[in-house]
Amino acid sequence: MRNSLKVARWEFKRNVKNKSFIISLLLTPVLFILFATLPTLLSGSGDDAEPVNVSVSDPSGIWAEQIEPYLSNADLNWETSVVTASPDEWRDGLDEDESAVYLALDEAALSEGQITYYTTEDTPDSFAGEVQLLAAPLQQLNLQNAGLSAEQMAAVTNGIQFNAEELSDSEQAADTGVNELARIIPGAFAGLILFSIVMTGMMIFQSASQEKKEKVSEIVLSSLTPSDLMQGKIIGYFWLGMLQVGVWLLIALPFVIWRFNDFPIMEYLFVPELALLIVIALIGYLLFAALFVGLGATVEDISSTSNFQGMIMMLPFSPLILIGPILSDPNGLAAQVGTYIPFTSPAVMIMRLSLLEEWPWVEIGIALAILVLSVWLVMKLAGKIFEVGILLYGKNASMGEIMKWVRS
Amino acid sequence: MSEIALTVQSLQKSFKDQQVLHDVSFNVRKGEITALLGPNGAGKSTTIRSIMGILYPDHGTIKFHGEKEGQIPKHKIGYLPEERGLYKNVKIMDILLYFAELKDYPQKKAKERALSYLKKFGLEGKDKVSIEELSKGMGQKVQFIASIIHEPELLILDEPFSGLDPVSQEVFKEEIRELARNGTAILLSAHQMNLVEEMADRLIMIHKGREVISGTMDEVKREYASFKCTIHGLNDENKLKTIPYVTRVEQQDNVSVLFLDQNLKAAEWIRKLPSDIQIEEFRLDRISLHEIFIDVASDRTLAAEEEEKYA
Repeated sequence: MRNSLKVARWEFKRNVKNKSFIISLLLTPVLFILFATLPTLLSGSGDDAEPVNVSVSDPSGIWAEQIEPYLSNADLNWETSVVTASPDEWRDGLDEDESAVYLALDEAALSEGQITYYTTEDTPDSFAGEVQLLAAPLQQLNLQNAGLSAEQMAAVTNGIQFNAEELSDSEQAADTGVNELARIIPGAFAGLILFSIVMTGMMIFQSASQEKKEKVSEIVLSSLTPSDLMQGKIIGYFWLGMLQVGVWLLIALPFVIWRFNDFPIMEYLFVPELALLIVIALIGYLLFAALFVGLGATVEDISSTSNFQGMIMMLPFSPLILIGPILSDPNGLAAQVGTYIPFTSPAVMIMRLSLLEEWPWVEIGIALAILVLSVWLVMKLAGKIFEVGILLYGKNASMGEIMKWVRS
Repeated sequence: MSEIALTVQSLQKSFKDQQVLHDVSFNVRKGEITALLGPNGAGKSTTIRSIMGILYPDHGTIKFHGEKEGQIPKHKIGYLPEERGLYKNVKIMDILLYFAELKDYPQKKAKERALSYLKKFGLEGKDKVSIEELSKGMGQKVQFIASIIHEPELLILDEPFSGLDPVSQEVFKEEIRELARNGTAILLSAHQMNLVEEMADRLIMIHKGREVISGTMDEVKREYASFKCTIHGLNDENKLKTIPYVTRVEQQDNVSVLFLDQNLKAAEWIRKLPSDIQIEEFRLDRISLHEIFIDVASDRTLAAEEEEKYA
């Protein structure tokens, strides 16, 4: 183990000093922040520049008292004014490219329930939706004019709503919105860890392959055993992955907290469930790291790898196929099958557990057992392949050779 | 006689159905340079890799004196493999310190030694550059430093001179000698017979996995280094074979090479040469280690011995 740690430190140090690693380390969160803010900033700046000038023709004098107060809570980018001009006069008084609306609230229109509004070419399409907010106060006004009491008016305007309430032992069950977030945040964090360490895990492949190419493994193996070297690489790249998560969080977390300041993110993050999710991510890493370190020892020239090796490189991305079915039904057949396949299991479990209210503990138990068994098996096979493969200089190992090493 | 550092006893190894080592045995002593010789494919690297624990022999023992049976004191061994390289995009000093760390050698001392060796090998000021910025020869010097940075008690060098220019060969030769003088036990495999002849205290020559010659350099020279006589002139091969002390004759066109018995007294033999031999040019030389090697590599000595056995 001491020797493995020496190798781990070395792999960590030499990658941390590597320029391309540093650039990708810093660039990823910056790009994330950029993509998260840029569209909002761009659309936001549009809103600030051009509010919709809403001119209300209000011969009955209902706007200021009866309607406008309803709109004060809605976040509308309107600039309203009451006018006495006719639509034609209003049109003549418009500037070019002005985003404006003429709203005719005359008595006839009110009583018939057919209100006409005139727009310019630059009026945003969203106005058609926003103007529906006026329906409720106007309907109420109509009912008031018809002589209904306040209770009767309330009965008509409120209509009937269906409120779902699930029976559950949990006290928090009533507040489903909060509960969902409480699950998704630790899930997203574990997913980030899995993504980061699997990505750095893929660097193990390169590291093992490069060691072969640079013919340095025999010198290294004169000081330690192949399993020390293999373990060291797995540990080193794990540290690297965790450093990556740390740096990403350090840069992105203040931004996320600022951007979503309505939610107590930190409170939702540090929950007991997080521990299990992280354990799943770590087991997933061990599986892929073992796979890549073994595979790297069979490849000297990455440009001439076989289809078989290419397919293994794609394995960490296999859960992507299952995202759709899992989102539509986290307990569906695809989700359950994905939970039991070792290569999709970590990502699928993290996704499902982030979505599910009630965790399927039996399934989790079976899946974890399969996963741990697979890690043990893959580590064993990778060890055998690594031991011989890392010293096979000058060519890529064929499938036949790999099978022979495994059987030996 | 110097203390034994390593004993290799009856080493056997097969790959698939082919046996590549047959009962190879030898000792490596402290303060001595032992040369492991043999043509390509003789089993030198297999022997060395077995000593290093990189390959497992099918039979035989490897004993590091002062260590428990079957234990390889990796931190006391320096190893320069035949197929060697270094991490390309890492600073030289970082690589050297990493190898020292792998051998549990103190970092501060390793740094001092690294700087002093870099200076000695003409690489002063190169500690912060990466290997890819150095020439191949310079890279080999760094590899050599990496193998001795931790002051090994046993140094194993597999083809240390391959790819080196004559100046660098001299530098390496002098350094290897110096290490031996300071008590390091050295086992080296090489093809450059002249260098081995100048440096080695002992040699073991293997061919097709079998030990064919072994002993101290003096013993081997005494046993094998006899004379050969080259005669230019038209002569009958069978007639040349009848001359006393001639063990073998090689003839091509009008050049005949007579290999002579080691008990030969040269002056007397020349005086007694038959007078009817046609001699346009005549030369008498010592057989060098190089020729012994060529002889062994091309199976001629073995063939001659076999002929004698069944004659």
